[in-house]
Amino acid sequence: MTYRVALIGTGNMGKVHAQQWSAVSGAELVAVEACTYEESGPIAKMYNCEAFAFDEFDDLIRKTSPDIVDICVPTPSHRQYVERAAAAGKAIFCEKPLARTMPDCDAIVAAVERNNVPFMAGHVVRFFPEYARAKALVDGGAVGKPAAIRVARMAAMPTLDTEDNWYRDPDRSGGVVLDMIIHDFDWLRFAFGPVTRVYAKGLYGKPEYRGSMDYALVTLRFESGAVAHVTGSWAHPGGFQTTIEIAGDGGIIEHNSNTSAPLTVALKATGNRVGVAVPESPTIAEENPYFCELQAFVNALKAGTTPPVTVYDAYEATKIALAVLESIETSKVVTL
Amino acid sequence: MTLKIGILSFAHMHAYSYALALKANPGAVITGIADPDPERGQKMAAEFGTTYYATDAELLAEGLDGVVICSENVRHRAAVEASVAAGVKAILCEKPLATTVEDARAMVDLCAAKGVKLATAFPCRYSPPFLRLKEQVQSGAIGKVVSIRGTNHGTMPGGWFTDKALSGGGAVIDHTVHVADLNRWLLGAEATDVYAEIGNGFYHQDWDDTGFLTIGYEGGVFATLDTSWSRPSSYPTWGDVTLQVVGTEGVIDLDMFAQNVVVYDERAGKAAWHNWGSGTDAGLVADFLRLVSGEDVPNLATGEDGLQALAVAVAAYKSADAGQAVAV
Repeated sequence: MTYRVALIGTGNMGKVHAQQWSAVSGAELVAVEACTYEESGPIAKMYNCEAFAFDEFDDLIRKTSPDIVDICVPTPSHRQYVERAAAAGKAIFCEKPLARTMPDCDAIVAAVERNNVPFMAGHVVRFFPEYARAKALVDGGAVGKPAAIRVARMAAMPTLDTEDNWYRDPDRSGGVVLDMIIHDFDWLRFAFGPVTRVYAKGLYGKPEYRGSMDYALVTLRFESGAVAHVTGSWAHPGGFQTTIEIAGDGGIIEHNSNTSAPLTVALKATGNRVGVAVPESPTIAEENPYFCELQAFVNALKAGTTPPVTVYDAYEATKIALAVLESIETSKVVTL
Repeated sequence: MTLKIGILSFAHMHAYSYALALKANPGAVITGIADPDPERGQKMAAEFGTTYYATDAELLAEGLDGVVICSENVRHRAAVEASVAAGVKAILCEKPLATTVEDARAMVDLCAAKGVKLATAFPCRYSPPFLRLKEQVQSGAIGKVVSIRGTNHGTMPGGWFTDKALSGGGAVIDHTVHVADLNRWLLGAEATDVYAEIGNGFYHQDWDDTGFLTIGYEGGVFATLDTSWSRPSSYPTWGDVTLQVVGTEGVIDLDMFAQNVVVYDERAGKAAWHNWGSGTDAGLVADFLRLVSGEDVPNLATGEDGLQALAVAVAAYKSADAGQAVAV
């Protein structure tokens, strides 16, 4: 069968997902909902499906009968769409973070359990080839027993082509900690097991930086005894960069997205174009991590197996991120 | 006038490069090397063309202008006290200044009371890449500094460095003080609070080989520092000093020892980074000799600077014991 997909949200992730759904085998995009037709219309036209606006979710379900609801709306709205999609019995793909608050996370887990619907969260970093390779190497014993891990994710404050840039509002996005380095928290949990406590300092909650920049330095302790440091930056003007360092009692793994980029395009400054060098790291389409996560979801639905990133995984990652925000606000260690 | 300088112990291998810098400096002569280990002391005395003394007291009796102390951490205080009693003008003490803040305070106070200049060996203050970073930050190029992410990774040094009775700890006491000093010098602010996760996951011994510190500063700047001895023998170099300084208008990344040529030598069986960056010990030693001569040397770290950096390391151990952030 071909799974019918309804995409909710056409922001940064919604656009990426729309494109990838057209590549996923066994699925087709049948509906796109956004706040307005101005936003959903062009995407629907591009992928030859039906456009909906806020709040036509019930119409969308009735008219297009989707099998999968793909939720790419701003974080605080995840709960209401998960609850409605679950009540309608749909399989749900939900972007990270699971929700803005733990009560919302609890409600999402309850809705998924009560309706017994398939669910997968968009913790896409697990599907990035360098992170997948690093984990496989660790699992294969390349560093012995992991002891000290450092990961970093550094970017400029995210842009959005709509007027309302909700990323800049930490009350909605949770800033760089909940919106961006939750990727690292999920991957670290996935690779190194449960986290027992967190301590962090950052700009979250400091009014003078609100909306203009965010930066956080986080320390995690694992049940295994290992320690990890996570850098999260929305203060880097120089482009997106990630780094990984995993040191153990038998070796060390390092990765840096800048130095591993096989292609750097440097263009002369002309007119209003600034002369900058942009590193690129192309892969074949089948290894695009956004494609891989959506294909993995569809494959799990077909096979009747549990999708690879569960609602409980997303719950735990959000719990770590919110504990980090609590630590930043209180200057206290937060035990999980 | 040629300054008479004595070296008290080669227990810390940095003594070797300080001796090279002293030897190369026309303003000084190495009067002698005292070392309780006769084999090591005699070998070094022969190498640097100077006299070996079995005890500090015998060398100090030669009427020295200044001493360089490179004994085990816990022995720094006694060496400083003996040097002050012998009437030296200035002392350069290897880092960490001591193993307890009480010892460090006693050393600083004694030198102040007797008019002896006490300096702490923080060669990173003489790193041209760091000095360029400092110049950029102080010019306001990145606006107001909000955070500094630091690392001072290393290879496990072995020997007395892992004998807590002599070293005072493991990776945390060994590798906190350099970056703690750089941060403090850069910001002109004192550390107020420290949280630390400490571990022994690399060597599984009763000393720490892993240290992840989070440091708060007066004025609200925050920092982290990874002090871990996490570099295996297969790694292409001994370790690193890195700083990511984040400001309201930009970011500066420093990798102090990035000026390398990469060597793939079949005989070694691994890649190696050969650093061609400017050395820092010549500048440190030259400033120390100026201090001995009575000149003002604003870049040279004082005993108080050494004490404040040590206080961060001591607070890190306290924090790890308490399981919470502690005041410095």
